[in-house]
Amino acid sequence: MQTETPVQEHAAEAAAEAFNAGAVIIEHVANSPIDHPLIHLPTIAGIDFSVTKHVFMLWVVAALVFVVVTTSVRRYLRQDPFVPSGFMNALEAIVVFLRDNVVRPSVGDRWTPTWMPLVLTLFVFILTANAIGLIPIFEVLGLLNHWVFHAGEESFLARLLHGGSTATSNFNVTAALALITFFAIIVAGSKAHGVVQHWKNLVPPGVSPFLAVALIPIEILGMLVRPFALTMRLAANMTGGHIAILAILSFVFIFAEMAGAFVGLGVGVAFAVPLAVGITALEIIIVLVQAYVFTLLTAVFIGMAIHAHH
Amino acid sequence: MDNPLVQPDPGLFIWTILTFLVLVALLARFAWRPLMEALERRQATIARSLEDARRAQQELERLQRESAQMMAGARAEAEAIVSRSRSDAEALREELKQKARAEAAAIVRNAERQIQLETARAVQQIRQEAIDLSVAIASKILRRQVSKEDNEGLIEETLKQVEAGHGLGR
Repeated sequence: MQTETPVQEHAAEAAAEAFNAGAVIIEHVANSPIDHPLIHLPTIAGIDFSVTKHVFMLWVVAALVFVVVTTSVRRYLRQDPFVPSGFMNALEAIVVFLRDNVVRPSVGDRWTPTWMPLVLTLFVFILTANAIGLIPIFEVLGLLNHWVFHAGEESFLARLLHGGSTATSNFNVTAALALITFFAIIVAGSKAHGVVQHWKNLVPPGVSPFLAVALIPIEILGMLVRPFALTMRLAANMTGGHIAILAILSFVFIFAEMAGAFVGLGVGVAFAVPLAVGITALEIIIVLVQAYVFTLLTAVFIGMAIHAHH
Repeated sequence: MDNPLVQPDPGLFIWTILTFLVLVALLARFAWRPLMEALERRQATIARSLEDARRAQQELERLQRESAQMMAGARAEAEAIVSRSRSDAEALREELKQKARAEAAAIVRNAERQIQLETARAVQQIRQEAIDLSVAIASKILRRQVSKEDNEGLIEETLKQVEAGHGLGR
């Protein structure tokens, strides 16, 4: 797939040249290019730390989650006797649900307080990052820029507009989260059994040494496959939904180009927008389910490391 | 690998880890741990309240049972008292009746004995009087020269007559 630089593409869109559905979709899903970051930062040890759109979105999500969760929890706890209200109801339901139905059954009573913060943060962070991608904030900003602001191509706002806003659709992000799960599993096992015993737990007790030799690579493979599956599942699900919505909406422009603006509009009203609304509704469920699955699997894997009785 | 969807981006990777770890640390410190503790506390409070309520309920039931028992006991006692006093009264009445009857019988007996005595004394008196009278008559007759033998015979005869008469009178 041939990708143009966003600058060129934006110019192309503005000039109403031939509509390239693939390029537009990629532009709205992928991260902003590293060579056109929001904030230029130095390259350390070969790694470019520049803040791209997805890094920026991670910060937005983290800040939003921190502020909303902390303020509502603080306000809630200042009451006596504390009765949840409004958003706190939802948050408390999430906390209690994750505690009683996800973490406690997996890791057991003893380790629940240890692993709750990680699992809870994973859930609210992934959920917020997923959900924020469903809201067309930057598309609206782009329209405003097109009609009102007319920000220059090199301005922060213009650079902000490039790229998709769902950080969790980027496999670099999900791989990083999965890496945290990966290490959490090792830490959980080491904490529960000691470092040496945790690695010994890879091989079930009582198998013959011959079989153990065969099992070790399989177990190590399993250890690595788990975070890989987490990475791909979340990123692919988040990307796929957005691509579906964008592809369906692309029909409007494809038909407009082929048969005129009215046909395009008709396709939009009769077909593309209703279907996109349906898929967006589906996406709301997927957003929740994927956040839940990532969280649940993390808790289950941690629990497996703690209760390593094969 | 031109597709931006599959571009490895180590910077983003590391930013994600840093951002997430900072968020975990902050949330754990300022939100999750206080919230979890508070939830545990509240759970304990609710459990304790329910336990208290259950205990109060049990206490109430126990008291109700006790008071019902007490009521039943008191009623039984009252009934026992009433029936006892009734039987006591019955016994007393019976006893008084018995006593009265015995007393009446004693009075009758006494009266009979008195009558007998009086009768006997009256008879004795009459007999004495008859003797005295006889003696008086006899002496009167004797004064008109009656022999000693006649006298004795007379006395004897008179006595017999008197006794016979008296005996007939009886």
